[in-house]
Amino acid sequence: MDTNDLAIDVQNLTVGYGSNILQQNLNFSVNYGEIFVILGGSGCGKSSLLKNLFGLYEPLAGDVLIEGENITTAVGAERQKIMTSFGVMYQQGALFGSMNLLDNVTLFMQEYTSLTQDQMDLLARCKLDLVGLLPYETYMPNEISGGMQKRAAIARAMALDPKILFLDEPSAGLDPITSADLDSTILDLSKNLGITFVIVSHELASIYAIADKVIMLDKDAKGIIAQGDPKVLRDTSTDPRVRQFFNRMMSKEAA
Amino acid sequence: MPTTIARPSSDTSIAKWVSVDSGSAKVVMTGKVDVYSLANAWTQVRAQQDEWLKTPGSHTLVFDASNITSLDGSGIAFLIDLEEAQQKAGGQFSIVGLDPKYEPLLKEFDPIANLFPVPVVKPKRSFVVSTGMAVQNLLDDAKGLITFTGHLSADLFWSVRNIKQVRWGDFVDAAVQAGIAALPIVGLVSFLIGVILSFQAAIGMQQFGAVSFVGPLAALGIVREMGPLITAILLAGRSSAAFAAEIGTMTVNSEVDALVTGGLSPIRFLVVPRVLAGILVMPVLTLFADIVSIFASMVTMLAYEIPFINFWNGMLQTVTIEDIGSGLIKATLFGVVVSAVGCLRGMQTGTGAAAVGISATRAVVSSIVMIVLVDGIFAYISYKTGF
Repeated sequence: MDTNDLAIDVQNLTVGYGSNILQQNLNFSVNYGEIFVILGGSGCGKSSLLKNLFGLYEPLAGDVLIEGENITTAVGAERQKIMTSFGVMYQQGALFGSMNLLDNVTLFMQEYTSLTQDQMDLLARCKLDLVGLLPYETYMPNEISGGMQKRAAIARAMALDPKILFLDEPSAGLDPITSADLDSTILDLSKNLGITFVIVSHELASIYAIADKVIMLDKDAKGIIAQGDPKVLRDTSTDPRVRQFFNRMMSKEAA
Repeated sequence: MPTTIARPSSDTSIAKWVSVDSGSAKVVMTGKVDVYSLANAWTQVRAQQDEWLKTPGSHTLVFDASNITSLDGSGIAFLIDLEEAQQKAGGQFSIVGLDPKYEPLLKEFDPIANLFPVPVVKPKRSFVVSTGMAVQNLLDDAKGLITFTGHLSADLFWSVRNIKQVRWGDFVDAAVQAGIAALPIVGLVSFLIGVILSFQAAIGMQQFGAVSFVGPLAALGIVREMGPLITAILLAGRSSAAFAAEIGTMTVNSEVDALVTGGLSPIRFLVVPRVLAGILVMPVLTLFADIVSIFASMVTMLAYEIPFINFWNGMLQTVTIEDIGSGLIKATLFGVVVSAVGCLRGMQTGTGAAAVGISATRAVVSSIVMIVLVDGIFAYISYKTGF
């Protein structure tokens, strides 16, 4: 397949910090419209991998191609163009504390588009409505709960209607109902707008509900130990590490 | 004015306004609709729609979406904006040719009226109300200060009796940060103050042929007033702000709450070591500032042909040990005030990242106000008692 048909193409990527290598020689790709979930135990480098994918950290080796463009080597205007083609939701939300929710969402629109303030406000309200936060547009980030901050961060990530959204543990810390609502929002966005999602998560219920494809990373193997449909992996994988994860077994049981 | 960074869009979307007859019109949209390509079309079409809606008669608007190749969230928002304008004017709105896959997304926003909230006008406060609130804030602040002083006094007394349980590690850290790390800046500033003070005094005194009195005068001023004051203001800028930011960050992160729920007094844990450090470093720094300043003054007076020994003898006749003691006692009080106010503002930190910055600012401002206040009270006592 031509790499231009892929939303994200990862080639021989090594993730780590200095001499501390977390994951080595990763090769995988994400198709357009796919909901792609990165799994793995705590400390295996999931979030670090994500930060390498969207260009926040420079990888130790290898390349990341986003819509066919190499983000690891791009500089200047070329890099900025790639950076505006996706949205990112950070684990803690990372909302701008001095702005209310509406202003958090409109900030990037103000910088990149020539819409009028009323148009940006309407657009931002649509985003907040999608994540169920419309009544809270004038609230400051510190006046809403952690789960709401996460949803607001997703709304902000969608501000410029990117084709790719990176979400770092979107459902961690949410109650089951809100979490299910968020899953259905993700599915809607994927189905209706064709947005590609790359999600780091270890919420099993959410993974089964939304993931088209998962890759599972392992701390000791420093690589991908399983990939494919999560339900198929749960039912058919013979790897004890994979079965242990999907069946929520304690570390002793799988041995 | 927002800066627009040109972002090449492979297709351009064009929305065209077509008048069908007096009562109906059509918006035809083609191509790829995204937030970049839409901006101008949105404004133009809405302006034409507003014009048209002002004309009398019925208004039926049809949105022709059959030539749209792709639509994103901003395109949906555009549709909603058109529909809302129609609804408000009592007109009709319909969409034809829209790919059915976008319909669930459109339905998400029903009823669209929610997306157009009525702007809330904040009621204006009358002068009486705002004055009352300001006084209330002032009283609350005073109450907080008094309560804090009480707690701090009790805990300081406690630590004198339980000297082994004071967190001496924190005390040493705070003393190093506030004291040793402050030596260069205190040295530099007091040297310059010494030079400036002597020069200014010498210019005036020269007219009366009294240059030889500059030395004693400068030394007395430095020891009694300038040394403690300069050091305290520097400490307020450096350490009071640092204490407020440290404790403020801990407050934001619920670390202070964790101490309270663990049954520990945050004042004893966080404030006492810092205040003790303030009490220790202020007199020492002040003594250092006095010495550097007087030396600077001596060097300056060489320019007026006053040798070191004359300066020295003049100074010994004027400056008594009481003067030095008075300056150092004042410095110690400044030390208590500056470190305690920094800690108090840290403990009063609200929520959010900005709150820490506000606390640090308040710490510096309050410290300096308190320094001047204490200095004034001290000056009055000195005048009355002659100490």
